[in-house]
Amino acid sequence: MEYEITLMTLAGIAVIAALGLNLITGFCGQISLGHAAFYGAGAYGAAMLTTNGVSFWLALPAGALVAGALGLVVGLASLRVRHDFLAITTMGVGFLFIGVVRQQDALGGEMGIYAIPDPGLGRLGYMVLVVVLAGLVAAFSLYLKRSWMGFAFDAIADDEDTALMVGIDVARYKLAAFAMGTAIAGVAGVLYAHEIKYIGPDSFGFPESIAMLAMVAVGGIGSVGGVAFAAVVMTVLPHWLQVVAEYKLLLYGALLFAVMRFSPGGLAGLVRSWRTRAGGFRIAATGKVEP
Amino acid sequence: MLAFELIVQGLIQGSIYALIAVGLTLVYGLLRILHIAHAALFTLGGYFGVLVTNATGSFGLAIVVAMVAVGGLGMLVYRFCYEPILARPPHVALIASIGLFIALEEVFRLVFGPYGISYTAPPLTATVVVASMNLKQAEIMVMAGVIVLIGGLAVLTRRTRVGIAWRATVTDPAMAQSFGVDVIKVRYLNFFIGSALAAAAGVMVALLNNLVEPTMGSVPSYKALAIIVLGGLGDVRGTLIAALALGVVESFGTIYLGTILDRDAIAFVFLIVVLMIRPQGLFGKT
Amino acid sequence: MTALLEVRDVAVSFGGVRALDGVTFALQVGELLGLIGPNGAGKTTALRAITGTVRPDRGTVTLEGLELTRLPVHRRVRAGLGMSQQLVRPFRAMTAIENVMLAAGTAKTHAPFGALLKRDRGPEREKALAHLETVGIAEAAESAPDSLPLGTLKRLEMARALALEPKVLLLDEPLAGLNHVEARRLADTIVELNRGGVSIVLIEHNLGEVMRVCSRLVVLDNGRVLGDGAPEAVMADPAVRTAYLGAGAGVEAGHA
Repeated sequence: MEYEITLMTLAGIAVIAALGLNLITGFCGQISLGHAAFYGAGAYGAAMLTTNGVSFWLALPAGALVAGALGLVVGLASLRVRHDFLAITTMGVGFLFIGVVRQQDALGGEMGIYAIPDPGLGRLGYMVLVVVLAGLVAAFSLYLKRSWMGFAFDAIADDEDTALMVGIDVARYKLAAFAMGTAIAGVAGVLYAHEIKYIGPDSFGFPESIAMLAMVAVGGIGSVGGVAFAAVVMTVLPHWLQVVAEYKLLLYGALLFAVMRFSPGGLAGLVRSWRTRAGGFRIAATGKVEP
Repeated sequence: MLAFELIVQGLIQGSIYALIAVGLTLVYGLLRILHIAHAALFTLGGYFGVLVTNATGSFGLAIVVAMVAVGGLGMLVYRFCYEPILARPPHVALIASIGLFIALEEVFRLVFGPYGISYTAPPLTATVVVASMNLKQAEIMVMAGVIVLIGGLAVLTRRTRVGIAWRATVTDPAMAQSFGVDVIKVRYLNFFIGSALAAAAGVMVALLNNLVEPTMGSVPSYKALAIIVLGGLGDVRGTLIAALALGVVESFGTIYLGTILDRDAIAFVFLIVVLMIRPQGLFGKT
Repeated sequence: MTALLEVRDVAVSFGGVRALDGVTFALQVGELLGLIGPNGAGKTTALRAITGTVRPDRGTVTLEGLELTRLPVHRRVRAGLGMSQQLVRPFRAMTAIENVMLAAGTAKTHAPFGALLKRDRGPEREKALAHLETVGIAEAAESAPDSLPLGTLKRLEMARALALEPKVLLLDEPLAGLNHVEARRLADTIVELNRGGVSIVLIEHNLGEVMRVCSRLVVLDNGRVLGDGAPEAVMADPAVRTAYLGAGAGVEAGHA
């Protein structure tokens, strides 16, 4: 049972992080290749606080704030320029984050931060907290999608220049998406740090960023359900199947490639097209609009 | 004197960045794809260099084999990975490229082992004194090699029919096509040459470090991306200058900023600082 | 009386080539102004300088006395410009009516976090449907843009611009690519819109329709204003005739 609780907690954390990225990449159409850096910023920010005696409940929002603020800075720097650049600058943020953390003794340097205090909720209680937060993030994502903010995001993801032509302040919306997505990654980071109780520079490297991107892409870019599902499966599988764990990166890489090459809509896209095909006859029969 | 040495070291490093980044900027210029998997071809070039040298004892042959084989593989990457998804939104090709990159790195790890391989008898290790500086023959070879390759590229694109057709296609594909240029052939050529140059860079890095390892492409891949942004995406001359500039900035930065930033983070700070001042890149037009 | 939209001494160059060289003209309230000229005369560039997608080297653009010259595109749109582009660019992942709804909801999309608090799309749907009816494509409301013919997409582009409830509607070759009957119908729609109170700047190569519907013409040639006045008077001007005849027969067939 202990083992299942740990798995569930880790899966919930992955769902939160992946949904944060989905907000940036899926809803607003901006590729981030450094999501783990923001995840790490939240983890480090909160761990610094709790190891110095600050309450976990204060550290949780603080971690989100640190990550979101970093996201805001990166966003401000890169959204001024062409849209392709965000992918590059975020990838750079990943390297910069690790580069800086490694050199700072205050952040534990190469050794990382260990003996992060337990939030005191018990194993089960902590899992419940994680799952509830994951559910809240999912609910927020679904709400956002149907709000006018989501509507404007759709336009930006579709065609930025045309979005300007209907009066949408594209840069500000992108910045909003980036700040929210990175703050959510920060929350996931805080939860991760207080689950594992140890963080080091290598916990938040490029492979972690790619793993999150893989969850979003495989689940279906923009699909809340698809991304959450993929995040759970891709967290749990390596723990269940030794083969998957051994070849995890190979598998993630190959999956990313194969999904984009053959089914860019991801799992959600597959389900959608399967449903349309199944219901095709009905639509064909009744789909005619009255003249 | 230290400053002069730092500049020379920076230029050596920068010229390697240049070889990698040129292929990247050519692909971007032609297809608007950020070809992340390019860095895996660079790594593969390094492996070819070491393996062929160790097997035959000829470093020259190794360079040729690496460039031709990896160039050919580059064409296959275009044909089977990018061509089928060109019509899709740009992020599709970008994510596919990242996936390919990660998967290839893992394949290298499985095939060649996780710890990397070295030359059994490293070539060009003797030290030469140039202008009262100690340089390894290998370093001089790298500089000379880069000058020859980039010079060759310049001659090719300016003096030959195929090169002129290539440049025309990068500038305006539709127009080039209406003048009878076979745009598809140009794309293959583009991938062949870009990949071959990356392979040459891989061989050279393998020579300088006497080591190739599966992940040696990660950091250069990101730096090459930063460089093509600095150079004004798709602009070859800008890319070359940005690559050399980054090499020099890094070699100074490691000395003077080493305590706060490691070498690989400097490229990013440089990128951000430049973009804050000039969003269009160092040489881009508004 | 001050003009609704005023373009004063605007110059634009692209890498050393002068596309506009001191262009000045104005649009009065309620006018349907035709902006014409041979290919490469600078018409689209002039429109882009008005919407802000190109930055002029000098000169000013003002809307109801508000200087637009330094504002970004989306701010100009919010100030009252609606643009229908020459090449149709619908949001392809949205249905036709959603395209128009988004434009009808500018009040709701003003600020990101304000937009987050608003969900109701009902009023915008009604308005959007009305605009689709105005341009005569209400039956395509729920269709995906990729499934619609060019003529319908041109009208969709116009409906989307209308949904912004602009003070000035800028139309860049709305008739290009349409057959004779379609072009005539869409030109009639434009006249109706104008009678309904929308002030319009129309760029068009189809001179027959331009002469039929516009109340005034501005002729551009080589980045300069060559003529400005009532259609018949302008077209009778020898300088204008030379510009057109000199530019060859590209008058009717000249759309890109």
